This record gives sequence, structure tokens and C-alpha cells, in this order.
Amino acid sequence: MADLIYENTVVNVVKEHFKDDIIDAKVRRQRRVELRTNTNNIESVLLFLKEKMGFLHLSHISCVDWIEENRFELVYILWHPQEKVNVLIKVDVDRLNPVAPNIDYIWPQANTYERELREMFGIQFEGLVGRHELILEDWDDLPPMRRDFDTLQYVMQNYTFRSGREDAQDVRETIAKRTGEEIPEFAKKYSR
Amino acid sequence: MRKEKTTTIYLGPQHPGITGNMMVKLEVQGDTIVKAETHIGYLHRGFEKLMERRNWLQSFTIVCRICVPEPDPNEENYARGVEEIEGREVPEKARWIRMLVLELARIQSYLLWYGGQSGSAGLYTIGQWSVGDRNYVLDLFEELTGGRVYHMYIWPGGVRRDLPKGFKSRVAKVMDYLEKRLDDYDRVMFDNAVFQKRTQGVGYIPPEKAIEWGVVGPPLRGAGIKSDVRIDEPYEFYDQVEFEVPDMYNTSDVWARALVRRFEIRQSINIIRQILDKMPDNGPVWNKIPNPHKWKLPRGDAYVKTESARGEFGYYVVSDGSEHPRRIHVRGPAYVHGITLLEKILVGQNIADVALIMNSLGTCPPEMER
Amino acid sequence: MNYVLNDRESSKIVEFIKNFARKNSLWVLAYGTGCGAIEIPPTMTSRYDAERFSVRGAATPRQADVLLITGYLSVKTLKRVIRSYEQMQDPKYVIGFGSCTINGGMYWDSYNTIKQLDLYLPVDVYINGCMPRPEAVLAGFAKLQELIGKGEANGWKHYKENLEWYRQNQQKLIKNWKMPDYNW
Repeated sequence: MADLIYENTVVNVVKEHFKDDIIDAKVRRQRRVELRTNTNNIESVLLFLKEKMGFLHLSHISCVDWIEENRFELVYILWHPQEKVNVLIKVDVDRLNPVAPNIDYIWPQANTYERELREMFGIQFEGLVGRHELILEDWDDLPPMRRDFDTLQYVMQNYTFRSGREDAQDVRETIAKRTGEEIPEFAKKYSR
Repeated sequence: MRKEKTTTIYLGPQHPGITGNMMVKLEVQGDTIVKAETHIGYLHRGFEKLMERRNWLQSFTIVCRICVPEPDPNEENYARGVEEIEGREVPEKARWIRMLVLELARIQSYLLWYGGQSGSAGLYTIGQWSVGDRNYVLDLFEELTGGRVYHMYIWPGGVRRDLPKGFKSRVAKVMDYLEKRLDDYDRVMFDNAVFQKRTQGVGYIPPEKAIEWGVVGPPLRGAGIKSDVRIDEPYEFYDQVEFEVPDMYNTSDVWARALVRRFEIRQSINIIRQILDKMPDNGPVWNKIPNPHKWKLPRGDAYVKTESARGEFGYYVVSDGSEHPRRIHVRGPAYVHGITLLEKILVGQNIADVALIMNSLGTCPPEMER
Repeated sequence: MNYVLNDRESSKIVEFIKNFARKNSLWVLAYGTGCGAIEIPPTMTSRYDAERFSVRGAATPRQADVLLITGYLSVKTLKRVIRSYEQMQDPKYVIGFGSCTINGGMYWDSYNTIKQLDLYLPVDVYINGCMPRPEAVLAGFAKLQELIGKGEANGWKHYKENLEWYRQNQQKLIKNWKMPDYNW
């Protein structure tokens, strides 16, 4: 069992510094710490971790759509290059009015991540500059990564399939029909 | 002073020097770039959306297609993410085989890079050699997994099948051959005055900013910073093999990054030899998963990462307790390298060096937009 | 001269020579539109060496004969591919490469990739597989050469004649159609 000295230090220091602004802080496993805060404090938490604790590297900003609970969960993943610890900072954003603070003055690459989230989830980052289209072009439907966007329905409306996809469902039967072969009784249960 | 005229040049998406299907919009004064802007999205397939519709086993078949030059770190990441959420054990032999596959993938990716990097400097011979020799590694993959490029081999709970009979000796033979060939590449590429003059001092990344800017992999090691997921956060059995991470090349230009890769491909050959020695002969290679249609994972999330040939490859896997993934977010190394970093370091360079710099950063569009 | 060309037999010979020349110098546009582009370097380099079958890369559309669609096409790329195709000089051929060009392949339910390439561009030869091996690519080129030799690879003529139909399909997907007209 590995000792979790630095992981516990992070939890304690952050809890002590931010007190009630940190909703939850725990050590997930070796090299993984999880914090939970809210959108008002996220900038100060990130700045504190970067400037005071030495979490210099922003790996990732991810977003999970919890449509049942009516919230987006933003996940900021930081990396400490000396202590080799990842910290995951989770923030809830209201799904109906998704606004989050822009952090690209802390890390320049956050600009790209935020532009992607703006495009894929429709989250607005206050004061984010940059081209509005990063990946998609002339998209006028719902932001595609939202759970309520149905990709299959969109495909059926906009694209056509070559006929033959249907009968390819059962390869065994199709081939048998083509060659006039009879499928033995025991093999029938294997064909779908 | 005469006011310089600025011209806009669109490099790509159809351009032989671009590493894949992307576009760099350059504003140039004479031959010098004053502003660069990366346009991506030409290869977007919506993987993350597609995986929400597939169950945990179906998603495994499409993750390898996220990054084309080196698919195996994706499979590894996905498998480890699922295992971490579920708490599934992996047999010992399977973990050694995974390491073997990952290192072979690193070698084939570096061999492809040899061709791209030297081709962008105008040396086409090396590409003929190294991409030709890469086929020997792909033959090994074909024998082991059935596919040349997409393997679909490392899956949750282990690997798909055991090593064929006599496979270890064939791997050893290919490694011996490659080691000899690498010296040939050195003589044509690294001893070549053209390559040296084209690459030294080009594409400088300030080392003190490198970590903050999100640089990972060979570009970070080329800046003299010792950082490698295999050492920082050993996965599989990387703590049981010996290898070096280079930090002696610290000029932080295209030349240093080329030297880092030249050093690492030899380290990979070395690691593979150790793996072949230490791998147990017998034992299970797969911890059976339940019926995939009814296979539910407990609610939870995991951030896992693997060192690919281009740097840290991270997966953020989220499960909501159902048969389908709730969210799988892919963080490829090129996502930062190809956009913010490229836009920064292209300023002040010549148009002819754009392809060189892109190759040295390992820009790979399919993993940027997924 | 006029007399010779009007002769039926001689025009056959001229056509034969033309086709012979065309099929033995195929310049492929270096445009990796999808993930299949990873099998092009092995095809072109020493082991498979496509150049011995008179296939090699060309840098610009105006000097290329073959447009190789290597795999899935996103809608954003489709616009650029159409532009590249229309810049190419006659005669020109299209090869659809990989399952995704035939019927969507792996990405059949993706919102951003097209499912059927021949609705948008005239495809002469399809190569199936995900992804096709270099041998399959070479076999595809051999098939194309055979068709050219017989004078049957007429996708470019077909495109000209049915431009309306192709345009209609293309514009259905590409919402912001700001492109110059097809310049013959």
C-alpha cells in the first residue's frame, strides 16, 4: 500500500485555505485527488493550485452532461510535474443557463478546450474570444454532445444509406439465399 | 521605414506538407510568418457521441480508430479506464503482452515519423527505408492480432488472445534487424548537413513555459525536462523494466526533438528485449467479462493516461451505472501541440519550416477533433 | 490529317493509344482525407512500391489524375474535396477507399460523416476493408487501369452530364454553398 502523503496534504491545504468554498475534497487513489467547488470559486481555486501548490500543467477540461439531474459537470484536470499528482476539480453548471468563467488567462490552452465545449455543449464562457467555429461548420442543430441530441435521428434525416444494409443483418441467411443452400436445423439458432 | 505588406496564405487542407487533414492559415511578410491560425475539424467523426450509443464492448472496437498512426495507447487507456471503474483484475501475462504491444506501436510510430520528418526536410530516401522497415513491425502485429493498422487487441480484462507459437523469437529477430538499420538512418539523416542546418534553431519552445503551455512527450523532453508517464505514473509493469528518459537534449528546437526520438526508439528496442525475458510462458491472458449486452459498470469516473509516441494520452471515462458509457473524453497530445502551441511557435519562422515544425510536434489531426 | 481521324478504324487506334497512355501514368492527388491515408506511405514505399505499377503522388489537383478518398468524409472535408475534384483536369478518376465510403462503415450513425460517396462524386472503383491492405490498394489501382484501358472509367463524363443531380445532393449537405462555378 502506497503512502498518500502528498495527496492528503493537497486535500488538507485546500480545505484549510478555502473552508466552505470547497464542497468536497477527497483522495481517490494514489496520484488522484478530487475536489468539488462551484463556479464562483473555480478561478481562485485554480489560481491557488497553480501559483501556490505548483499544479502547473492543465491536462484537460472535460464536461459531462447529467441530463437527469439538470446539470453539466465541468471537470478540470491538473497535473503536478514534481509530485506527480493529478487533481480533478469538478464544478456544476446549470443546464438551462450554462455559464462558466473563462480561464484562458491562466493557461493559454484552455482557450481551445473552452471553444470546444462551447461548440459541443453550448456552454458560454464569459469573455472567451476566438472563432466561434472550431470543429463543426455551419452547424444549426443542437450542440451535438448534449444528451438530448439524437445522432441516429439526425443521420436518418440528412443522409441516405445504400440499400443492402438491411439484408446484411444476417450474413448466414443472405449467403444461403443467394446460393440456394439449405441451412441445417442445428445452425438456424446461430443465425440472427 | 517602409510599411511591410502582409499576405494571407492557406496551408492545407490539401497540401503535401501538412501532417494529415488540417489547415494552417498564415499571415506572412515576405517569407516570415507574423500570425498563424490552425483550423481543424476536417476529420471530426463524433467518437464521443458514438460511444454513448454503444455498449462497453462495442465502444472498444472504435476507440482504436481515434488516433491513426498509433492506435494502441487508445485501447490501453480505454481498457484501464474500464478496469479502474469496475475494479477488474488483469492477469500477469496479459499485462506483459500489453507492454509488448505498446512498445511495438511506439517503434512503428517513430519509424513513420522518421519518414515524415526527413521528408519535410527534403530527404526522401529515409522515408523509403524506414516506412519500408515499418512493415516488419506491422507483420508482427498482423500475426498477433490479425490487423496491420487497427488491432483491437487490448481489451478490458486482458488481451484478446495469447502469443502465437514462436512469436517471441520473431520479435527478437525484427528487433535485431531494426537496431542495425537505425545506424543506417543515422548516417543518412542525423549526419546529414542538410538536415542539421534545416532543423537546428527552428521551432523553439521556451523551456520555462513548456509545462504551463501544456507541452507533453518528446517536445517536452527536447526542452530538457524529464517527463514521461511511464516513469511518473508507472502503469502495467513499467516499474520492472529499466530504461532511460532523455533530458540531455535541451536546445528545445526541431533538432533536439529529433534526437529525443532517435534515443527513445533504441530504448524501446531495449525494453522489448527485457519484456521478452521477463514475460511468463504460461498463464491466462484474459479475465472473462460478463455477457456484453448486460455488462454494467458501477457509477464512477476515472482519468487514465498512457505515454504514446507523441506524449501523454489521457482518457476521462465516466460511467453512470448502465450498459453504455456516459462520457469518454479523449485528451490527445496533439490537441495542445497542434493548436495553441503551433500558433505560438510558428511566429517568426519561415513558410518552408512549417511542415518541419508540425512533424516535430507530432501533430495528428484525427485525435485533435476525434 | 482530317482524313485519317475520320476513319473509323484509325480513331479506334487513337483511342487505344490514348487509354494506354492514361492508364500507365496515374498521378494520385496527395490529399489524405481520412484515416486510410496511413496505408498510403507503405503502398508508395519500398516494400509495395506502387511506382512500378505506374502510380505515384502529385502535389496539386491540377496535375493529378486520381482522387483517392481515403476513408470517411466529414461534411467539412466534402466541401474541400468537391473543390479539389473540380479543379482537376479531365480525364480524372475517383477511388473510394475503405468501408466508410461505401456505406458509412464504422461511422454509420455519426452526425458528421457522409454515408455514400457516389451521391456526391462519381466513383470509378471502390476498395473495401477497414482499412484496406496495401495489396488491396494495388488491386484497386489495377482494376482502375483495366477500366481505363477498356475506356469504361467514365465517371468524369458522367459527372459533367449529371451535374444538376450531383449539385442537388451536395447542396443538401453543405449549407453554406459559397463556391465558384465548375469551370470547364
